[in-house]
Amino acid sequence: MKIICQEQLLPGESLQEKWDFAVAAGYEGIELRGKGDLSFRDRLPELRQAKADGVVMPTVCVDMLHFFGAFDADQRADAVAQMKSQLSVIAELGGIGAQTPASYGMFSRRLPPFEPPRDEAGDREVLLDGLRQLGEHAASEGVELFLEPLNRYEDHMVNRLEQAAGLIQEVGLDAVRIGIDSYHMNIEEADPSAAITEFAAYVGHVQLSDSNRLQPGAGHLDWAAFLGALDAVGYDRYLAVECRLSGDPVEAVRSIPAVVRRYV
Amino acid sequence: MSELRRAAERVLLGNWTGRSTVPSHSLYPHHWSWDSAFIAIGLRHLSPRRAQVELESLFGAQWQDGRIPHISFSPSVPRDAYFPGPDFWQATTRGGVESSGIVQPPVHALAVWLTHQADEAESIRRGFLARMYPKLVAWHTYLRERRDLGGRGLVAVVHPWESGMDNSPAWDEALARVEPAPLHSFTRRDTDHASDDDRPTDLDYGRYVQLAATYRDHGYDDARTPFTFALEDPCFNALLIASEHALASIAEALSLDPSRHVTAAAELTSALTTLFHDGIFRPRDLRAGQPRAEDEQTTAGEQAAGRLVEVDTVAGLVPLIVPELPQAKELLATARGPKFRLGEVRMVPSYDLTGPAFEPGRYWRGPSWFNTAWLLHRGLVQRGEHQAEELADALRADVLELAGSTGFAEYVEPFTGEARGARDFSWTAALALDLLRPSRP
Repeated sequence: MKIICQEQLLPGESLQEKWDFAVAAGYEGIELRGKGDLSFRDRLPELRQAKADGVVMPTVCVDMLHFFGAFDADQRADAVAQMKSQLSVIAELGGIGAQTPASYGMFSRRLPPFEPPRDEAGDREVLLDGLRQLGEHAASEGVELFLEPLNRYEDHMVNRLEQAAGLIQEVGLDAVRIGIDSYHMNIEEADPSAAITEFAAYVGHVQLSDSNRLQPGAGHLDWAAFLGALDAVGYDRYLAVECRLSGDPVEAVRSIPAVVRRYV
Repeated sequence: MSELRRAAERVLLGNWTGRSTVPSHSLYPHHWSWDSAFIAIGLRHLSPRRAQVELESLFGAQWQDGRIPHISFSPSVPRDAYFPGPDFWQATTRGGVESSGIVQPPVHALAVWLTHQADEAESIRRGFLARMYPKLVAWHTYLRERRDLGGRGLVAVVHPWESGMDNSPAWDEALARVEPAPLHSFTRRDTDHASDDDRPTDLDYGRYVQLAATYRDHGYDDARTPFTFALEDPCFNALLIASEHALASIAEALSLDPSRHVTAAAELTSALTTLFHDGIFRPRDLRAGQPRAEDEQTTAGEQAAGRLVEVDTVAGLVPLIVPELPQAKELLATARGPKFRLGEVRMVPSYDLTGPAFEPGRYWRGPSWFNTAWLLHRGLVQRGEHQAEELADALRADVLELAGSTGFAEYVEPFTGEARGARDFSWTAALALDLLRPSRP
């Protein structure tokens, strides 16, 4: 397993400066963040140069406020267009895929008004349609789309690996897999390690943050059990650090690989 | 080897229930005492925190008198999933945990100490040793004060299941004195998921039920129960000695005086010597000589003294784990001799290969088990001699090969290594995981 870090957490002005810090701290890659309005595509010159300079950028995580599961049809269409573009860019960079949730911050069944404007069947139809479009595009680009289950307060549609796996089974495309996140799993899964072993075949990407969304080691997640489960199923891809930082931010980022390496 | 490690980890992750590990989802769906200790010894490599929780959960079922029941029942499993279940035992702790009333060998202090060592920072952060120490002391105190039925300073088991080696031929003679409970009075569940040929016979099962019912009907009171079955088992006592040594280490780590545990270990080791005969340790049957209906009356002297059972089982080799064991050299010679053929057959047979009761596929009457192999491996490594180390290396390789080839079987046929009993058995996976790590005494 290779530990990588999201770009905004790394100190440095350019990707090259961030890369130098990352390598010195023990990271083996940078996870990019893909903003909307095709701005990720517009970064291509910068990204191509970084790649030429040896920066390893295997994945991109979407950084927008609307998603392919949006209630609004125009927002959905735009999110699909943005994700297709991000998949194409990460493919050009030699990466493996792009990660997105179904939605974020749009609706929670745990908060008022509790009942969403679209019923479950409607949600499912929208999600399957989006995953099909994005999966087909990912396959054509030779990369994968990683569907990320979020906790119940951030998304009302896909919270657990079981739900993501069910959608992926129905879509039937190998290019759609689950991008798991330890923080969300800690909230939603009865046993995160057991969920990993049960849905191992679908796990394509992993993001790490502790129980409190802080850097691994700053919360109470059982990292030995979580990472031990990934080891047990033979997961050999990337562990991308996506978290908030407590204490000195530079030292916090520097501390993470040693915490994770204890277990993998 | 990394594939074996991953497979073992998958077994332990799969058998984890949130607070503890079931030995096997199909055959043993609750929390077993000595299984839990062996499981923690391997689980500590996967998740030190889970290993600590495993042992803490088990001690959550500790009785007021200090005993650790051999089963702590899971409330989420149907009441009739296992026999004898909670309705048979009728034992509930003050904390509301339903359990059995008998015990199993005290491997726990050793497991606690090894679990602590796996991640001392996490152990200290969680206050693991400080929390476990008084409970372990209470457990050992129960055994030494309430279960010294022979008055020699050794602990007696009062049910074959307490030895952990349920149907060992060493219990046959003593068990024959027990009137079996009628077959129609209970329904076995252990044969639902395993071949009848691998499991104890119905007649034996009726005797197990009778012994447990008598203990239950006397309120599990050791002073009041008329035990018809009472034996000083060398394996049980050797594990208590190993655990007293571990308690001494735990006490030192807590800046407490370890001397009471050092003394206890020495006293027990000295008393254990009285079980040594003919190159091996044998159980002492404290009720031998008491009349069966069809037998003639024996002398009162024989009754008081008890008698060593002339049946050789792997339980008699387990004292090899006792540090500075005076009889170690002779014991090792017996292990390598025709009865157990250490290094020539698969792991260590549970019973004398030349014995009249030998059955290669039936539970503790011949098959080789992974926990006893682990214990002997530990004993051999502790000896620190060249020959013992060679044997230890070969035994370790055999355990690892068999764990993988059998799908983590509960036990194996000692000549062919064929899998028997449950698969994905937790302690098999755990102890393989432990032996995959570099050995240390």
